[in-house]
Amino acid sequence: MVIHRLITRAARVVHKSAAFNKTSCLNTQIVRLISIGRCNFAERLYTNKHEWVEVDGKIGIVGISDYAQSALGDVVYAQLPDVDKTFTQNDECGALESVKAASELFTPVSGKVVAKNNDVEDTPSLINSSCYDKGWLFKIELNKETELKELMNETQYKEFLKSNEH
Amino acid sequence: MHRTFRFLSQAPVQAIKKTVLISQSHDIYTNLAYEDWLYTHQEFENHNVLMLWSNDPCVVIGRYQNPWLEANVPELPQITQNGVLLARRKSGGGAVYQDRGNLNLTFFTSKKQYHRKHNLELIARAVHKNYGVKITVNDRDDLVIGDSKVSGTAAKLGRLNAYHHCTLLVHANKTNLSRALHKQRWNIQTNATQSTRSKVLNLSNEIPGITINDLLWMIGYEYLNTNDFQYINPEDNFSANVFACRDELRSWDWCYGNTPKFTINKSFPIDCKINCDVTITVENGRIASVDLGNTAGLVVKEGIFDNLKNCQFDINVFDSVANLLFDAKELVAKSKQV
Repeated sequence: MVIHRLITRAARVVHKSAAFNKTSCLNTQIVRLISIGRCNFAERLYTNKHEWVEVDGKIGIVGISDYAQSALGDVVYAQLPDVDKTFTQNDECGALESVKAASELFTPVSGKVVAKNNDVEDTPSLINSSCYDKGWLFKIELNKETELKELMNETQYKEFLKSNEH
Repeated sequence: MHRTFRFLSQAPVQAIKKTVLISQSHDIYTNLAYEDWLYTHQEFENHNVLMLWSNDPCVVIGRYQNPWLEANVPELPQITQNGVLLARRKSGGGAVYQDRGNLNLTFFTSKKQYHRKHNLELIARAVHKNYGVKITVNDRDDLVIGDSKVSGTAAKLGRLNAYHHCTLLVHANKTNLSRALHKQRWNIQTNATQSTRSKVLNLSNEIPGITINDLLWMIGYEYLNTNDFQYINPEDNFSANVFACRDELRSWDWCYGNTPKFTINKSFPIDCKINCDVTITVENGRIASVDLGNTAGLVVKEGIFDNLKNCQFDINVFDSVANLLFDAKELVAKSKQV
């Protein structure tokens, strides 16, 4: 991840530098090469409210963490955001009902919803049985990629869970 | 020892302030709007609030429930003189009937402080101290006496705030309760949250003569340790957005339009030979499609039900479907005669 960020940052510096702008053709090629590389680094990032997002290119897949699904208990109803709706980071974008409680759902990143998981709407228990795979909630087209820097990676999230601050 | 004291003195000592609010309104939509306004506009981390309220006859369903499955929708207007209202709350859980013989309690806290068992035990403790009657909290977070329920539970959790509310049956009209929640035999397919039906009991059965006012005072005192309650009339404190919220909660679009997608199926005879099987799909409370299963040879023109599309769903819509089919049958019969 760190290496990846370094590469991306380096690419941006290169992109901005006047010398390279003169040879913009070469420049575009470098950026493209690196952005293709980015796909291979897809990693699950977490918020302190226990949502996760896995980014591939400009599309983020969003779900809730294992800690969250276990804290919620059996999910009996999932209200997911409608496709084409636009949200800003941390906006309320849906809700999950479990053990008589409706828990608001928040988007970990800003962007436009491009898909929602119909299987989860039909079978909400997928969130409990497979929160990182079949129980994903929606896909969002990111419009502010810098927000990803504020999120925690797997190791940081595990530390955060230990810290009792959640 | 010294170190311990130093530690204690450095610990943030911030007592949580508590307030008991008693709503003077008995309108379900006004009270739900006020509850929602508190939840969205106040911070509860250092200031917990208990709101106590009571409503005129109504059925309150959970956020993701189907009113046609939970309440006796066609008969609600006739059950009492002014009718039984139908409301959809913002929290989860099942359907309840309530009237002025119920006491509603909403415990507002931060999400971190949200603790349903703690609140329910407080209620049980207040009743036990004052009346010697033992109420227990079961594994579904219901309050029960023996095997009968005196209150259910529902909650809403946000990013920072949370509330837990419940409604105690004190001396509610049980005849109206049974009629308002009378289970319909409609064939509805849905993944909406369904209520668990339980045997219910009024507290007045165990504590003859108990009043809402007595109970309200005792629970308020148990929560606050004083009787310094605040009586509020949400109508007076209403800001424009609270009024807007009340109007939204009262609207057809909120109460019925928010029903999770469902299909309802009914078979009925068009004449002695033809039995029709009709399935209506309802999305956002409105008719999305009408499909015929078995028509026993009745030829139906395409688009015959187009006028029904997007209409607000109502059980009577099956009568309209039957009429359209009857007309279609007559038409076929006439064309054969010609």
